[in-house]
Amino acid sequence: MLRNVTLVFAIGFLAAMVALAVFAPLLPLPDPVKMDVISRMAGPSWAHPFGQDEYGRDIFSRIIHGARASLAVSLTAAALAGAAGVIVGLVGGYFQGWIELATMRPLDVILSFPPMLLALLAVALLGPGALTLTVILSILFIPAYARVTYGEVLVVRNHEYVEAARALGHRPLRILARTILPNVAGPVLVQFSLVVASCIVLESGLSFLGLGVVPPTPSWGLMIRGARAYMHLDPMGIVWPCMALVFTVFSVNRLCDHLRDVFDPKARRVSFSPASAIDEDDGARGREAAAGSATDDMLLDIRNLTTEIAVPRGSIRAVDGVSLKVRRGEAVALVGESGSGKSMTGLAIMKLLPRRISRIARGSIDYVTADRQRHDLATVPLNRFRAYRGKEIGMVFQEPMACLNPVYTIGYQLVEAVTAHARLPKQETWARALKALKQVGIPDPERRLHEYPHQLSGGMRQRVAIAIALCGKPSLLIADEPTTALDVTVQAQILDLLEQIREASRIGLIFITHNLGVVAEIADRVVVMYCGQVVEEGTAEEIFYTPRHPYTRGLLASVPKVEDKTGGNKRLSSIPGAVPSPLALPPGCRFAPRCAHATDLCNAGVPALEPVSDSQAARCVRWRELA
Amino acid sequence: MNYVVRRGATAIATLFAVASLIFLLLHLVPGDPAEILLSSGGIAPSKESVEALRVNLGLDKPLLEQYITYLGNITTGNLGTSFQDGAPIGDEIVKRLPRTLELILAATFISVLVGMPAGVAAALRRGGVIDGLCSSLASFGLSVPVFVTGTLLILLFSQILRLVPAGGYVGFADNPAQHIVYLLLPAVSIAVGLIPVVFRMVRTSILEFLEKEWVRTARAKGLDEPRVLLLHVVRNSLSPVVTVLGLHMGTLLGGTVLVEYVFNWPGLSGMLVQAVEQRDYPAVQGIVLVICLLFVLINLGVDLLYGMLDPRVRYK
Repeated sequence: MLRNVTLVFAIGFLAAMVALAVFAPLLPLPDPVKMDVISRMAGPSWAHPFGQDEYGRDIFSRIIHGARASLAVSLTAAALAGAAGVIVGLVGGYFQGWIELATMRPLDVILSFPPMLLALLAVALLGPGALTLTVILSILFIPAYARVTYGEVLVVRNHEYVEAARALGHRPLRILARTILPNVAGPVLVQFSLVVASCIVLESGLSFLGLGVVPPTPSWGLMIRGARAYMHLDPMGIVWPCMALVFTVFSVNRLCDHLRDVFDPKARRVSFSPASAIDEDDGARGREAAAGSATDDMLLDIRNLTTEIAVPRGSIRAVDGVSLKVRRGEAVALVGESGSGKSMTGLAIMKLLPRRISRIARGSIDYVTADRQRHDLATVPLNRFRAYRGKEIGMVFQEPMACLNPVYTIGYQLVEAVTAHARLPKQETWARALKALKQVGIPDPERRLHEYPHQLSGGMRQRVAIAIALCGKPSLLIADEPTTALDVTVQAQILDLLEQIREASRIGLIFITHNLGVVAEIADRVVVMYCGQVVEEGTAEEIFYTPRHPYTRGLLASVPKVEDKTGGNKRLSSIPGAVPSPLALPPGCRFAPRCAHATDLCNAGVPALEPVSDSQAARCVRWRELA
Repeated sequence: MNYVVRRGATAIATLFAVASLIFLLLHLVPGDPAEILLSSGGIAPSKESVEALRVNLGLDKPLLEQYITYLGNITTGNLGTSFQDGAPIGDEIVKRLPRTLELILAATFISVLVGMPAGVAAALRRGGVIDGLCSSLASFGLSVPVFVTGTLLILLFSQILRLVPAGGYVGFADNPAQHIVYLLLPAVSIAVGLIPVVFRMVRTSILEFLEKEWVRTARAKGLDEPRVLLLHVVRNSLSPVVTVLGLHMGTLLGGTVLVEYVFNWPGLSGMLVQAVEQRDYPAVQGIVLVICLLFVLINLGVDLLYGMLDPRVRYK
């Protein structure tokens, strides 16, 4: 809203300014250099709307004529610099080798001068004047264009259509002009407006110092310079040219921002309006710890969990009525394609859903502490939830490259995890950090403690991330695609490590993955998710040998099997179609549009998750027929 | 260590290039530099004065010899003598340099002091009132040329409110309190243009870092929210801020020229403007060289600081 207002103002102001400046000689304005000493510093009148300056000259007329001087110098310089800079950048970027070096290197020297100083140096040599100024400014801003063009050309140079033009035998000049130039036009235009603003500022600054435009030619800088001595007598005399200058520069800058938005949509800011944001914790339910005590070895009992994410077009249920149980020492795999809601389920347990735009809408997440007390995590307010994170539940994320802070040592980040829950002497915390590193099998752990994340390989970093998650001795570990970003051999090592840890400390494990091959190695039970719902669950054996849901079967069929010697020429199948948009879900079974067995019945309402055996359940109306 | 050496070497190479460019500039100008320097308002200078200037500047010697003498003089700290009074330029520069440095430091300090918290606040309440207000102020602040800020500050605080003097200088040793009073307005004038730069950078990088996985890891550890923000978001945004400050040093140094003029601050730049007015070429050349040295050194400092803040740079 405000942005639009300022944009309209900027365009209007600039248009008026340019029009007034261009047509100034035709307008019935008083002569800007004609003095009238008797009415010096007179206030506004009908003849002189902005008043008169220290020599009795008409301020309004001087501002308009000042715009003429300022805009003429700035636009000319920006255009000249643009022409030269674009050519330099095109040539430098298109040709490699010595031409590139010879064109781009000298620009760095210009850039290593503060622009104001280079201008002063040239003025000292050549004397002040509008012409000198234009020449200096044009040279000063060549690098600005050249760099932008150069960068764009480097990107475009290897594009197929440029290659194609080259292969067709077009001459370099023609390729540059026809294929590359249109591509760099946008960024160069943005640069042009930036340079115009800089030129106006530099021109007025130099004129203000008395080293730019030479009197009696009116210029904003000169006007401010002249009025300065009398500002105690006539404050408005100095405010008018200041306002003209500031509003002009502001308008050019605003226009430049807009151009940038237009030409570089990636940089455009997309944000939700605050009204559509949902509080992460409404704290209204207050059922925490009221869930009673558990008798068996249950660790986590999620019932009917639903999360909502606010998007510009409404709200998405990324997780829609998911129930999930994890026992102590049990490994549960959460499987599904991207967008199935499996990661959101993991994040919801940790209350790490993206802030302000998402929340737990319904359901309960009962966590059973060592003293057999049930706590509904969904209702624990964020400030108290800290006690669960790391201490009761640890989490490992997908991207080992990004999950460690690059500016701290491994040791520091481990110590942080220790001290988050325990106040210990410094020596003790470091000893624990070292122990945690040893536990995840990192060679030479003493040395690694003092290293930074970027000095470690991806596999090592994931081990460190696991060590961090285990530092607080949690009872439940959520691993969100911990092996996806790693090499196959490293994957196997990490899986082995997780398996060891689970056996050693009887930790519950939720393993989130899209890779069924990985599931076979680690999971006791498997929960298959599709479009935010659980479509099938069962023991690993049931899922692999007697899958009931067509989606599970599809997933299994798309896993390459090394041992399947007989099927050497069998084609690897993939599930046809794509995951539907969460904003336009099918009315009935969400998998129906992609399912080979779908009938009208499938679209007649969302199927229930029906028990297939004591431990298996499937959300398919036809599972009996298809079995 | 290796990093420091490499950066140092680059800095020296840049200085050499800058010194050479300054030398070349005098000779690249079409026509006889001595004649150009002496001419004013279309009046041709006398033969004798041109000849005298040629000897003074060493223009009568072969170009290569001039160049070598010039480089030799620079490395020994001999910046020549002023046209105006024949005084050694180096001495005057040494006297004025600390005052310019002080101004730059004060302005940077104010900018970080104001820009950082504003950027953090705006990013944490993105789209809120503070964000909208600060962002609008920032784009406005970026549009006000530094000499306009200075002039308007004088108009408001010294002419209308009569709180502070319009300009001037007292040595810190003579009267510390008064010294600070004189420093205030010039430093704020420069800061007005620099605060938006810091603000925008902090805001953008905080918004970016808030989405980083390491922040999630930090939360998953059970760290409390203030600690997550301070140690894993704000701490990481220091490197981009240092980078952007480095990028703006050129503008900043240019800004001091105008601000020192506006406030009669007797730093290097005031001397420079005077020398340009009087077309005292050796003095201009010497001051520009020293300011460029300063520029390169500040950039070197920025790079080293950057290395301290981000271990990835140090070890590359």
